[in-house]
Amino acid sequence: MAQVYYEDVKEGSDIPTLEKTPTARTLVMWAGASGDFFELHYDKDFAKSMGFPNVLVHGRLEAAFLTQLLTDWVGDKGEVKKMSVQYRGNAFPGEKLLCKGKVTKKYVQDGQNLVELEIWVENPEGKKITPGTAVVALPSK
Amino acid sequence: MAEIKFASMDEVRTYLGKKREEEIEIDGTVIRAYCECIGDPNPKWSDTAPPGLVTTAMVSSGAMLLGVPLPFKRSVAGGADWEFFKPIKKGDVIHTSHEFSELQDKTSDKGPRALMVYRSTHKNQKGEIVAISTNTIMSY
Repeated sequence: MAQVYYEDVKEGSDIPTLEKTPTARTLVMWAGASGDFFELHYDKDFAKSMGFPNVLVHGRLEAAFLTQLLTDWVGDKGEVKKMSVQYRGNAFPGEKLLCKGKVTKKYVQDGQNLVELEIWVENPEGKKITPGTAVVALPSK
Repeated sequence: MAEIKFASMDEVRTYLGKKREEEIEIDGTVIRAYCECIGDPNPKWSDTAPPGLVTTAMVSSGAMLLGVPLPFKRSVAGGADWEFFKPIKKGDVIHTSHEFSELQDKTSDKGPRALMVYRSTHKNQKGEIVAISTNTIMSY
C-alpha cells in the first residue's frame, strides 16, 4: 500500500475501509491470543443464559481491527498515537463488519504532523456498534 | 469462570488504588498468534508488535483480575482507550501495572449505575512506558 503523507490528507475525507468477518474460529483464536476466556465469547448456552442469541464478538477484537485500520492507513512511516472506543452494540460471528474512519482535524504539534480521526465498526445493519476516535502521526513529504 | 463478587458502593470504593503487576515476554509466537487471529499480514510485524497487541486482554484487561467486586448486578464493558508511546519490539518483556483508579456514581432516577475505571501502565524491560490503557466497566 502506498505511503500516505500529511500533505495529502484533507479534513473530512474518508480513509480506506477494512472489512472483517470474524467467525467462531476467530473468537477461539482471540481467546487464545489474548487470554480472554470469558464464556460469553465461545459457549452458546452460556450466551443464551445471559439473554443473547449467540456468542458475542469480543469488543477488544473489534478494537484490534480498528488498530489495523489505522496501521494499514498510516503505512510504514506513520504511527498510531492514541485510540479510544466505546462499546455500544454487539456483533455476532459470521457478520461482516466494516471498520471505517474519517479525518476530522490535522495540525502540527511539537514537530509532529498529527491527524485526528473519527473511527468506528459498522455492523451489517449499518449501525456504528464501536465508535471511537484516534490520533496518528504522518510523515511529511 | 471466576465467581463474581458483589459489594456496596462504599465497600467497592475501598478497593480504589488496588494494584496488580503482570509480566509477559513478547516473543514471535505472541505476535504471530495475534496477527493470524485478526488477519493482519503486514510484514512490518516480523520484529515489531502491532500497537493493537496492547488491546489484548493479556496486556490490557488483566485489571479484571484485581478482584474488585461489582456494586450492581449487571455489568458491561463501556469503553477503552490507549495511548501508544513506543513500539513494542520482539523480545521485549512488558511489565504491566494495573490499578483500579476511579469509581463514579452515576445513579439517577433511571436506576443505579456506576462507572469503574481501570488504568494499566505498560513498561518495557528498560523501564520505558510503551503504552497506557484504560478500561471502563459499567455496573448497573
